[in-house]
Amino acid sequence: MSTTHDHDHAPIEAAGEISEFDVLETAIRGLAIEKGLFSPEDHRRFMEWAQRIGPHGGSRLVARAWLDPGFKQRLLADGTETSKEIGIDWLDPTGTGTPSDFTYFYVLENTPKVHNLIVCTLCSCYPRPVLGQAPEWYKTPHYRRRAVRWPREVLAEFGLHLAADVEVRVHDSNQKSRFMVMPMRPEGTEGWTEDQLAAIVTRDTMIGVALPRADWTADRSPVATSR
Amino acid sequence: MRRFAIGDRVTVRDATTLFHHRTQSYTRGRTGVVVDHRPEWLIPEDEAWQREDGRVEPFYVVRFNQIDLWPDYTGLELDTLESEFAEGWLVPAEGGRR
Repeated sequence: MSTTHDHDHAPIEAAGEISEFDVLETAIRGLAIEKGLFSPEDHRRFMEWAQRIGPHGGSRLVARAWLDPGFKQRLLADGTETSKEIGIDWLDPTGTGTPSDFTYFYVLENTPKVHNLIVCTLCSCYPRPVLGQAPEWYKTPHYRRRAVRWPREVLAEFGLHLAADVEVRVHDSNQKSRFMVMPMRPEGTEGWTEDQLAAIVTRDTMIGVALPRADWTADRSPVATSR
Repeated sequence: MRRFAIGDRVTVRDATTLFHHRTQSYTRGRTGVVVDHRPEWLIPEDEAWQREDGRVEPFYVVRFNQIDLWPDYTGLELDTLESEFAEGWLVPAEGGRR
């Protein structure tokens, strides 16, 4: 192994620009630690927990709703309360909806005539207890400003072309509510179990930029499959 | 007591804003229909200052036709957008109930 580093590229920056919120968070965290409200280890453990949540809760909600009309009715009527039936308590552990910032959760049902799409133009509100951390693109100004104004073009960029008799209904999550899309159950899934169904309800189908397919799960590598 | 019923046509006020408010500029002055009620919540203008005893207002879900939001909308006429508004940001639309 060479002891010199003689590549001719510029140094790779470990991080991009530091935002005001990054500075604020670091300062407040430092003060909270000094004050003894929590330890650095507590903080690390919380972040490790919060960042591993993933979209599995949302997939489970949709799969169960596809199989159980009573559950679906309860889920559409009260998302926050019905999430508890699959073990997700929006008030746990902090009482303020952490790891989301609010606890009013609404599930938006796609129909043959209505396709729902979620966005937060003001920041990046996202139903984290059921979908985990938002994908990077969801938080970009590029997605946020374009999803409300050119939704069909944005969907087309994701490979989703909807028929002309389908209403595209954008939900701009600007206040206290958090939203998730319930896609329609695709053809070819008759007789499937809840686990089988949950596997095809991927993150993007619950944001509304994709539709579930019987032959697709999020853990398959598209590259490997196309070979 | 709520001022607006589901089905009412409402216009978002084009009010002068200072500080935090969460009412998107693209909705201001635009008219839509109340499609759902939300609880009474602390309004963002006070919440931003951690005024837990601040002003509480009923909130509403308002649905707009995209062509009413964007004069140059390139999608289809049936496309819509929904967002939430505090009562204080809404006034009855000209023409009233749909």
